[in-house]
Amino acid sequence: MSNPPQSVRIYSPRRKLQTPFRSVAMAWDEIYLSRNVIWQLFTRDFIANLRQKIFGYLWIFITPLLGIASFVFLNYAGVLNPGVMDLPYPLFVYIGTSLWALLTTTVASVGNGLIANSDLIIRTNTPKIGLTLTGLAGVVYNYLVGVIMLLLIFLAYRISPSPWMLIYPLLSLPILALGVGIGLVLAVVGTVARDVAPIVVSVLGLLMYATPVVFTSDLSNPVLRPIIAANPLTYLIDTPRSLVTSGIIPSPMGFCLSSILAFAVLLLGIHAFYLVQDKVAERL
Amino acid sequence: MESGVSILADNVSKKFGLSLRQSLKYGLKDMTQAFLGRPVHNNLLRVGEFWAVRDVSFVLREGESLGIMGVNGSGKSTLLRILNGVYAPDTGDIRIRGRVAALIAAGAGFAPMLSGRENIYINGSLLGLTRREIDRLVDNIIDFSELEQFIDLPVRNYSSGMFVRLGFAIAALSRPDVLLMDEVLAVGDLNFQKKCFDHILRLKREGTAIILVSHSPGAIWSVCDRGLFIDHGEVRVDGTVEDVIRSYEDQNSRNAFSGNRLSDRDDLSEGSIQTDSFSSNYGHERGGTGEVICRSIRFLNGFQSDRCTEFDFKESMLIESELVVKAPQENLLLRFTVDAMHYRFIATLDSLEQGLELPFIPVGVYRLQVRVRSPNFRPGAYVLNMGISTKSVGVHLFYWFGAVRFVVMHPHSSFLYSDSNAVMHLDSEFTLQELSAMIPDQVS
Repeated sequence: MSNPPQSVRIYSPRRKLQTPFRSVAMAWDEIYLSRNVIWQLFTRDFIANLRQKIFGYLWIFITPLLGIASFVFLNYAGVLNPGVMDLPYPLFVYIGTSLWALLTTTVASVGNGLIANSDLIIRTNTPKIGLTLTGLAGVVYNYLVGVIMLLLIFLAYRISPSPWMLIYPLLSLPILALGVGIGLVLAVVGTVARDVAPIVVSVLGLLMYATPVVFTSDLSNPVLRPIIAANPLTYLIDTPRSLVTSGIIPSPMGFCLSSILAFAVLLLGIHAFYLVQDKVAERL
Repeated sequence: MESGVSILADNVSKKFGLSLRQSLKYGLKDMTQAFLGRPVHNNLLRVGEFWAVRDVSFVLREGESLGIMGVNGSGKSTLLRILNGVYAPDTGDIRIRGRVAALIAAGAGFAPMLSGRENIYINGSLLGLTRREIDRLVDNIIDFSELEQFIDLPVRNYSSGMFVRLGFAIAALSRPDVLLMDEVLAVGDLNFQKKCFDHILRLKREGTAIILVSHSPGAIWSVCDRGLFIDHGEVRVDGTVEDVIRSYEDQNSRNAFSGNRLSDRDDLSEGSIQTDSFSSNYGHERGGTGEVICRSIRFLNGFQSDRCTEFDFKESMLIESELVVKAPQENLLLRFTVDAMHYRFIATLDSLEQGLELPFIPVGVYRLQVRVRSPNFRPGAYVLNMGISTKSVGVHLFYWFGAVRFVVMHPHSSFLYSDSNAVMHLDSEFTLQELSAMIPDQVS
């Protein structure tokens, strides 16, 4: 053909061991290759989700507001004992739950990414990692809308966020990395044993009560206190929240270690995905 | 890979587990091995595994097309998925040059809520096209799919024909370097099908390498230069399209032969009745008054007199049968009839018609032989039935439906491709003469 020499693709069984860094490089290449697909599938799901709904785009705001309302009600009824704080409780809960939701929705969407796109995996040669991560576009989008929502809540309380607000999305990156890492492992394991991902997502739901999401970290409960202090999620959620509201990092060391852990999980997740992905398609 | 070669498949194999439970177990095991970085032994079968594709090798150059035939479950689709990079081979490797469009992906990723036009972009991106490339192609695609008025309608309101037409148009018009097709040419009405064939042949002329998997000999014959016949994952025939179609159809006939065997008795290569006692009634397959019964029917190869169920085209056959006459008979009529796959009683062999008069047959055991010289059955699977009656009595003394099955194989000297439903071959001579070089009416 007249085209410039085209690339030659090779499909063969994996013969030698590859390093995690090689996996990451491959992931990077393949995600770049499938950027078009990721974008098209994101717009597809986005548009398809909103068509045929009365409230249309308003849903993006309605869902988080309903979430806050339930915790505010629990607090108002005195069921919750969130601890002493100098922030309005709804604002505190909103930041906490939106960061927590970033983690759970990332895990759920990436963890289900292979099965949800099994038809495309079986019928097209789009890189598997690309298809697994397509759901992430929607998660990130919702999160960013949540950030705008957050600014509106600040405005409503006439509180000005600290300058850290400018890099708030960057501060939540470790959470995203952790979620993607766990999700990738769940995605490949889930193709063999389908009940693993739902189990992990439910366990994660329990873990929320061992993390200062809807209450503060200086809890007086002697049982929960050490658990919370040892929980890396504590630092990943507490740090962005307290930085944007007060500009203080409660535990710089905790945040650093937890972030390193989060990115290590991401690296491990990508590596695990690449080691196993050849065995995946035939089990979908 | 040398230039001009589009696909190089070298000893490609792929195995699968038979049961879900087993594949789950092996899946977990393999994954753990892979996690730990241990080599997985791919070239050995474990209990409960089978080779879906075994040691398949071929080379396909630019502008060539390869037809792959095989009965259901022979491994064609698995091979196509390996070629499309969906499954990694367990052994061997595949090299593919350029952009691959798979027509197994026709309509992949279509979102029912979105319009045809929006879906062109989604499906196109799944085929590896950029947005700009799709922008350039979108009008041609809409034009080719003949969906102009409906292109902004959500695709869930499309008919299945419209759906596939759109999917086909996207894949075919994307001008891939390699086109993988799985049984997709039977799309739309006749005119659209013709358009698809024309377009595929044009792609081929322009250098696209094509692999077509199909059960339709006609499609393979018109598109492909060569073929593979696959059976149980292995390439049995790698050669001309004609050879591949012959092998495929013979395999089909054999399967038709053995497929019914399951529902019947254990062995239908020879019909036999175990006991001599026979109650006089009408059964489903066998019945009659029972005054005469046929104990066994079998086919012998015309010359070597070996028991035989597969005959070459026009090979002579010998039917041999054992009869028990329990009461003396006058004017006995012995008759065989032949059923084809889709038609009953396509031929009859009657003792009286063929010149054997049986005015009186005393009690005894008899051997009946019927030699059929150069039968004109076309390749396929057939069933032999038997009936015994007399001229004076209006009921069957004995009948036996589906007594023996036999298969007629494709000839090597000629290629009988035209219609697999046809059952008889009539030797004939064709001539074509030119009467005039002009068509008179077309002048006006």
